[in-house]
Amino acid sequence: MSSRSNMKFLYAGLVIALIIAVLAPFIASSDPDGLESAAEGVVSEEKLAEMEEAGSVFSSPMPDYAIEGMGKSGEVAAIVVGTLLVLGISYGLGKVIKK
Amino acid sequence: MHIPDSFIPLSQAIIYWIIALPFIFMALRWAGKEMDDTKVPILAALAAGIFAIQALNIPISMGTSGHMVGATLVAIIFASPWAGVLVLTLVLLVQGFVFADGGITTMGANILNMGVVSGFVGYYTFSALMKHKLSLQISSFVGAWLGLLVSALVCAVQMYLAGTFPLVPGLVAMGTYHFIIGLIGEGLITAIAITAIASSRPDLLENRSLARGVKT
Repeated sequence: MSSRSNMKFLYAGLVIALIIAVLAPFIASSDPDGLESAAEGVVSEEKLAEMEEAGSVFSSPMPDYAIEGMGKSGEVAAIVVGTLLVLGISYGLGKVIKK
Repeated sequence: MHIPDSFIPLSQAIIYWIIALPFIFMALRWAGKEMDDTKVPILAALAAGIFAIQALNIPISMGTSGHMVGATLVAIIFASPWAGVLVLTLVLLVQGFVFADGGITTMGANILNMGVVSGFVGYYTFSALMKHKLSLQISSFVGAWLGLLVSALVCAVQMYLAGTFPLVPGLVAMGTYHFIIGLIGEGLITAIAITAIASSRPDLLENRSLARGVKT
């Protein structure tokens, strides 16, 4: 494994990830996922409403991969930011923790 | 399959965190032993790619969608399920804190399901099939599919213990949806990605013997 060709792999991976990030808001299905669908099927409406009410314990800056008031461009921006953030964190952690 | 905070009572969510911590520790220890300057870019590329593809929900009919998890893919490339645990932990941290995708209290359960269960079941199924002389494509497809399906069933049991889902209907619903999500979202994409890597960069596969039999 040469480090130069592996940097090429990183750039190629990043390009693919960014293409997916830009396309996802337009082509991803907005149907509920498997867990949500299962919940709708097997949990009573009352309890679902209760769980909805409870919400989450942490207030995230970009909930549901969106930026308030920015529509699709905000969704693209959110997923691009997330992709770069994950890239940066994993690269940084790898560098810090490597032997 | 990202469990939100409200689906598991705090007392149980903490237990899943406590079970998840040693796995996260082992994943970090794996990275400490295995990571070097040449492998860090591969880890980062896979983590970024998996974050992005998890935002791409694929419709599977029945008004339901699903997306790839990716732990099996990472585990196969690095020839270690701990690699999958590490990448999924990082991805779930960002998803939970920045995007409210999956809860914070339930992140331990999510790391266990998607990082540990799907990655370990996926990787060892893959390895067993390769030992039985099945092709790289079939082994990675079946491994990734089974990893996802089993993790969904484990999730259904957690939902039952949490008092959120009834046991049998929960297992049937989670099993049915993820049986299909696993075929398209997990199995197919994993097999395609592994095949592409094995033919373009066979040196990247930690387990070199995997690249055999792939036409370059």
